[in-house]
Formats: sequence, structure tokens, C-alpha cells
Amino acid sequence: MTDQAGSTRSQPWSRQVLSAVLARSSARLGLAWIGLLVLVAVFAPFIASSHPLWLVSDGVASSPVLAHLAPLDIAWLAGFLLAVALALLRLRLWVVLAAWAGGVALTGVLALSLVSPPALVIHEQYRELAAAGAVQRVIHAPIPYSAKDYLRDYGDTGVEPPLAADGRRHWLGTEENGADVAARMIHAARIALGIGFIATGIALVIGTVIGGLMGWFSGVVDIIGMRVVEIFEAIPTLFLLLTFVAFFGRSIYMMMVIIGITSWSGYARYVRAEFLKLREQDFVQAAVACGLPLRSILFRHMLPNGMAPLLVAASFGVASAILAEATLSFLGLGLVDDPSWGQMLNQAVQSSTFNWWLAVFPGGAIFLTVFAYNLVGEALRDAVDPNTRDTQGRQR
Amino acid sequence: MKLLEIEGLVTELGGRPEWFRAVDGISLAVQRGETCCLVGESGSGKSVTALSAMRLLPAGRHRHPAGSIRLWAGDAKQVPVDLLTASEAELARIRGARIAMIFQEPMTSLNPVLSIGEQMDEVLLLHRPGMEPAEREARIVAALEEVRIPEAKRRLRDYPHRLSGGQRQRVMIAMALVCEPELLIADEPTTALDVTVQAGILRLMREIQERRGMGMLFITHDFGVVSRIADTVGVMRQGQLVESGPAGELLARPRHEYTQALIAALPERLPRALRPAVGGAPLVEVSELAVHFPVRRGLLRRVVDQFRAVDGVSLTVRPGEVVALVGESGCGKTTLGRALLRLLDPTAGRISLEGRDITALPRQQMRGLRRRMQVVFQDPGSSLNPRLPILTTLLEPMRVHGIGADDEERRQRAAQLLERVEMPTDSLWRYPHEFSGGQRQRLAIARALVLEPRFVLCDEVTSALDVSVQAGILKLLRRLVDEQQLGMLFITHNMGVVEYLADRMAVMRDGRIVEAGPTARVLGAPEHEYTRALLAAVPRLQA
Repeated sequence: MTDQAGSTRSQPWSRQVLSAVLARSSARLGLAWIGLLVLVAVFAPFIASSHPLWLVSDGVASSPVLAHLAPLDIAWLAGFLLAVALALLRLRLWVVLAAWAGGVALTGVLALSLVSPPALVIHEQYRELAAAGAVQRVIHAPIPYSAKDYLRDYGDTGVEPPLAADGRRHWLGTEENGADVAARMIHAARIALGIGFIATGIALVIGTVIGGLMGWFSGVVDIIGMRVVEIFEAIPTLFLLLTFVAFFGRSIYMMMVIIGITSWSGYARYVRAEFLKLREQDFVQAAVACGLPLRSILFRHMLPNGMAPLLVAASFGVASAILAEATLSFLGLGLVDDPSWGQMLNQAVQSSTFNWWLAVFPGGAIFLTVFAYNLVGEALRDAVDPNTRDTQGRQR
Repeated sequence: MKLLEIEGLVTELGGRPEWFRAVDGISLAVQRGETCCLVGESGSGKSVTALSAMRLLPAGRHRHPAGSIRLWAGDAKQVPVDLLTASEAELARIRGARIAMIFQEPMTSLNPVLSIGEQMDEVLLLHRPGMEPAEREARIVAALEEVRIPEAKRRLRDYPHRLSGGQRQRVMIAMALVCEPELLIADEPTTALDVTVQAGILRLMREIQERRGMGMLFITHDFGVVSRIADTVGVMRQGQLVESGPAGELLARPRHEYTQALIAALPERLPRALRPAVGGAPLVEVSELAVHFPVRRGLLRRVVDQFRAVDGVSLTVRPGEVVALVGESGCGKTTLGRALLRLLDPTAGRISLEGRDITALPRQQMRGLRRRMQVVFQDPGSSLNPRLPILTTLLEPMRVHGIGADDEERRQRAAQLLERVEMPTDSLWRYPHEFSGGQRQRLAIARALVLEPRFVLCDEVTSALDVSVQAGILKLLRRLVDEQQLGMLFITHNMGVVEYLADRMAVMRDGRIVEAGPTARVLGAPEHEYTRALLAAVPRLQA
């Protein structure tokens, strides 16, 4: 140990971890897939829609897609644009989080009250207009079918293999009601992403608060907290979900909340262990000796130092939440009409024949998404682990 | 007679992709029946030299572009083995049988799931396959007795956690000796031990070596230890041997300027200014302070006993003076310090700060007083929050206590403070891992001073540092105390540091203060028998 300053100026820890994660090609691949999913989920109405992007009919130009945007579509778009804008602004983490959550909530409320898409959506109208020769100019979405466009105008359509139908082009085939599989998969990306992030987010918040209290106060709080953790670990998530579906009907939000409040126990254990260790560290003791308020000690000095295992666990948690939803949908207890990858898998085996395209494409999407999250989690674990990476600088 | 000969050894580490030269052309020889000491500060390459000789460096992560390490057999006619080119099979026969090694950390160098008898038996089983079990056991018991483990026969079935640190190190030595090696390599074997234990271990190693005519390569950073055990000394710096020679001559008349600087940096040799006697009202007064930890047993966790970590301690610290609290590990000195700062609740007694009783002050009122008393901890690795830049670490306490009108003024104050602790101002924007141990300790001192405290507690602040770095920190602390009339309680186990820094000192043992008084009087004419034993055990370089 020499008494000389390091010559290179280093970056904050978060930046170091990020560059270590990005240095691995597997993690880059995982992040690329997740990024692609995000783009697809955000712009789903523009990628797969029966409503043309631009339509000139009887001399009147209009954009049916924009007219049919639902409040949820607008909330997704606003969330994405806000996230991009905030990422460019380089503010503090909690400012970014608060601004993002507030912005999304605000646009959600505004969209709900101001935007009113037609209650009755007739998907066939554009095809009928075109057949009647009333259309002068039309620009279709890349996949000109909505997720819930069951192609009634083509008569009794049903399960069709990819590119088998006459006059229509279904790249990934159709499902049992005749809807385009590619379109349904694109819209289902929202459910996969949403359930992963929201369920894990709920679990993270609950787990961090309870684990942090257990670790800091220890003693009686710790004993009671650990018993609560054990109780929640004993709850079988799937059966709880089945029960709730049976009693209260099917709702994606209810599923998110239930998965969230049954999976926080692991995070609580991690945070508790980290806090117990950190509490004895000299810099925390020094913070107490400086008379800093408890809020600062817990959230500024201890939490950022205990985040590492939490991040890793969360990336695996997202994957398992996606799997839980897929399982439920596969069992036929998912959403009724809204598309979901698990539900499509269910349809693959329901009819008398095995419809391979309904198994391979949604199954592949689930596999790739879960795999991508696991890759990222793996890379994060290596990046934050001092044994595999020299995060402490030159001295050790 | 020559035993180990290192010639022009170069060891390079890393290779991912660039190589770092850790040992750079070292030549030395260890004779039979002699101890060769390698001295140097951390990072000088002394441990790497030892590990090169044992061929214990990680495979693929090191290389030897030049040099040789030859091990000579008992009779001179035989060809010596070159350890650097020996095969794994050859090495397996040599390691443990002809060369044995002792490591620094006694707590982790024994396998916790095997009893000490089993661990020693394995060595014999490997190197003396012909031996009968009864014969092996007799030999192990003899080895344990040689290192003075009491009731050696009964101890064979004990697991390492039942032994104290000193006893573990003795078992390590016994294990190294059980095959009667010709060469013993000891890498800082006493650094983690208390001085009284260290004195016993050093005496024991010296005796065994003389009795058996072993050669010993002894690595240390402590010149006091060198003067007790070495026949020849090599001083290392940045992978090179700057000076070597017979111990007596080298220590008395070092020729190389680096050796001279190292010896001059020993705390007891630092020049001391004459200080005026301090007076004034006591800054911190502790009377009959006790901290007891309940010992709980059984299903209902009933309190069956009290562990008296601190048991009726009284002391005072006045402004402008340094009071040293000295004692061996486990004597309660750190607990006393924490209780004094109210980081821990005392069981009984009274603590007053500037005449005000703070023993039972509620947490909210205590927070306001925190700025009057500050603390610097031992471990430079954990004393600063690794996730915050230095500026935030220094600014936050000021903000909480309302020092400075706005952040700009606080930032200027922080910058001034860094200058006072002799750190560059651009440190403000850096993160703790960019600094060396000594620099981090300076930053921790800056953090303590940012609140303009009247009293500072220093808990072993220099014990993890090299002597030259330690000298800098000690001078800084003394200057700060003299300039600002701080009161300082300095917890340490290093008598040299006490001699340089402290005006008064207190010797602590088993939670009680056995002797207290002006430093010169206690060190010069100790009254209590424990103080005398402690002082006698401290290895010192005779002037």
C-alpha cells in the first residue's frame, strides 16, 4: 500500500457495474432481446393492426390507427417517451423514478378521461371498403391484423398453419378463433413485460422495506419479521392465484399484485442479511456518530451498498413472474380475450391435432424472454461479485 | 551450509494481458541453522518471493522469466533441486516434507471441519507412508508438546475453533514441523497475534530452529521482530532487494537510504517536540463506566451470565491532549470507545462531555451533540461509504448540522479541510476505492473534523498501515491536536505509537484499567505487573 493517488479518475459504482455487464456478449444479447420486446410492446398498435396507418377514402384522409388508440396504448407510449427523455437528462435516480411514475400516471388519467376510441370496433370495415373500391390510398401496418380481429368477413376461419390461407398472409398462422398469431404475439409482449416488471417491483418494495427494518432494528422486529417471511414462503402462489381467479374473475392487475405480494420474502431475506452485515461496518457507525438522521443512514449509506444481490435476484424474479403468468394462462385461467403467450400454448394442444405453430412461436418467445432475463441476471451477479471482478480498484 | 539459494529471481503476475513484475531480480541464500528475514512494506514482493519458492502461485497467472530457486540436500555432493523447474510429483514430495510453510492468519489456515489430530495425521500419512498409526500419533503428540500445547494428547480430537489464535498458530507450527523439514518458510506468522503471544511464538520458533538446525525464511514488516529473530536480513522494496546483510550490522548501521528511512519512520523514533503541560476543564470524563453483554442460554434465552466487556472504567481527556488506551485484543478497549460515543448503551456509569452528562440522553438530543465528538475507525477499507464520492461524504454531515450557509460554502470548507489533512483538493470528486489505505485514513480524519468536534476518538487508526504511512498520519494527528486543542482518545496496541503520540496513557486488561499515568512515567517505570509483562513482550529495535 503506497501513499499515492490513483491517476485515472473512476466512475460511480453503478456505471462500473453497467460497463461490466455490457462487456459480456451474453448479457448484451439478453438486453437486446428485452429491448426489442419493449419496442414491440410500445409500438404494438402501429406494428400489428387492422386499422390502416393512413387511409384516403372518398377523398377524406384519416388515420384510423390514431383514432382507435386506447388509453392503455397512450400510457405505454408516454411511458416509453418519458423514459427516453429522462435517460437523456441525467438526473438523480429517485428524481427520475418519481418523474417517470408521476408522468405515466398523469397521462394515464388524462387519456382515460379525454380519449374515447369507438366502443364498437369493426375490423372488417377497411377490407370491405377496399373491396367496394372506395379507397384511394391506404398504408397498412406491417401486419395488417389486430390481435382481436377474428376475420369474420372470411367466413368460418379457424386454425390455419403459416402461409396456408388463400388471399391472406399469416406469417405465423392463425389460432382457433381465426386471429393472426403474429399479431396476438406482438400484443401479448405487453402482458409479459408488464407482469414481470410490476410484480417484481411490488415484491422489491415490500421486501426492501421489511428486510431493511428487520436488519436495522434486529431483535424483536427481526424475530417477528422472519416469522412473517416464513408464513409468506409457505403460501403456494399458483393455488392462491387459482382461488382468486375462481372468486373474483380474471384480471391481469390482480395477478400482478398477487405474484408481487407472495414473492417478496426472498428479497426481504437478502436485504436483512445485507443490513445486518452493513450495520457493523465502520462507515455506517461513522454516519451514526456524525448524527445523521435514520432516513439518510438507511437509504443513503446502507441501501445502495446492499443493492447488489437484490438486483440479481430481481432479474431472476422477473423471469419467474413471466413463467407464472404463462402457466396460469396455459391452464386456461389467464385472461379471457386479451392475448397472452401462455394462452396460445394452451390452444396448441386443445384441438384434436397438434398445432405446432401455436406451440413453437409463443413457446419460443417465452423461452427467449426468460432466458434473456436469466442471462442479464447472471451477468449482473458476476459484475457485482467482488470475487469474480476487481471492483475495489488496484489494491487487492 | 547452503540450504536454499535464490538467484536473480523474477516473478511476474497477471498476464491478462499485461504482466506485473512483483519480484524483480532477487538473490539471497538461507543457510542451515539460520534465519533469514525478509522485511518490507506491503506490496514489496516479500510474500510473492516465498510463494515462488513453494510454487504456490496461481497456475497460469504467474511466470518466471529469469532466475532459479535451488534447494540443497544434506550432503553437498548431491545435485540441488531447482524448485522452479521441478515437476508436480517432485514438488509434492518436497512440500511439507522438506519445506514447510506457516501463514499469517491463524484463524483461517486450519481446516475447521477436521480435528487438529486428523490434519496433522494427513501430512504424515502422505510423507511417511511406512509409519504405523501408533507411531504417527506419538509423533504428533510430541510435535504438539514441542510447541507447548498443554495436554497435547487430549487436544488431538479438538477442532480448530476451540483453540485461541496463539494456540492455532502453535498448531500450525507443529504441523509444519511434524515431518522435520529442512526449511521453514514463515509469512508474517505473528502479525495477527497479541504482543505477549507473539513474544512466546518467536521464542519458540527460535528454540526449535536451534535445536533442529533448520533453515528459516521469515517474512515480516516489523523491525522489532527482525531484531529478535534474524541472523541475516534482506530489505525489499518494489520487488527488489535494496540491502541485505547480517542482522546486527544492518539494523545498527543501515547503508541504503530506504532502510534508513524505514527505521526512522518507526513511531518511537519520530522526533517529538516538547509539549507544554495541558490544563483546563476535562473535555470528556468517564466515571465507573460498565458495559455488560448478557449471555443467554437455553430454549427461553434466559440470561445466565453477564459478559463484562467494560467493567468500571474511569478516565478523563482534556483539551489539547492525547490519551492512549492500550491493551491486547479482547480487553474491551473498542467497546469502551463505542460506549463513550454512545454508539452502544452503557450498563452503568457516567459519561460527560464538556461538563454535561450524556449517559442517558435521548437519541434526538444526542444527535445535536454528535458534532462535538467524532470518531476515526481502524479499517481503511470500510471506513468510507464506497458508493458516495468524497464530497458527498463530507457535505452531508455539515448539511445536517447546519454548518455553512449553502452547498457552495460547504464545498469550500471541505476543500480547505482536505488541505489540512494533506490531501489534494480534487479528491472531492473521487470515490473511496481510488485511494490507498493511508489516504483513506486521512479522508476519514477529514470526515471526523468536518463537524469541528472538540473530542476525537481514534480506534487503531494506523494498525493496518505501513510504517512510513503511519508516521505521516501520526504527525498529522499530533499537529491537529496541538493546533486546535482537540481532545483525543487514541486506542492502540502499538507501544511505539503511544510513545510518540500520547501525553497520558491507560493500560486496559479484561475490561478494567490496570494502570494509568503520564506516558513517560508508565513506559519508563511501569508499576503494575501486567504493564511490565506487556512492555517486555514488545519487540523493539535497540537504538
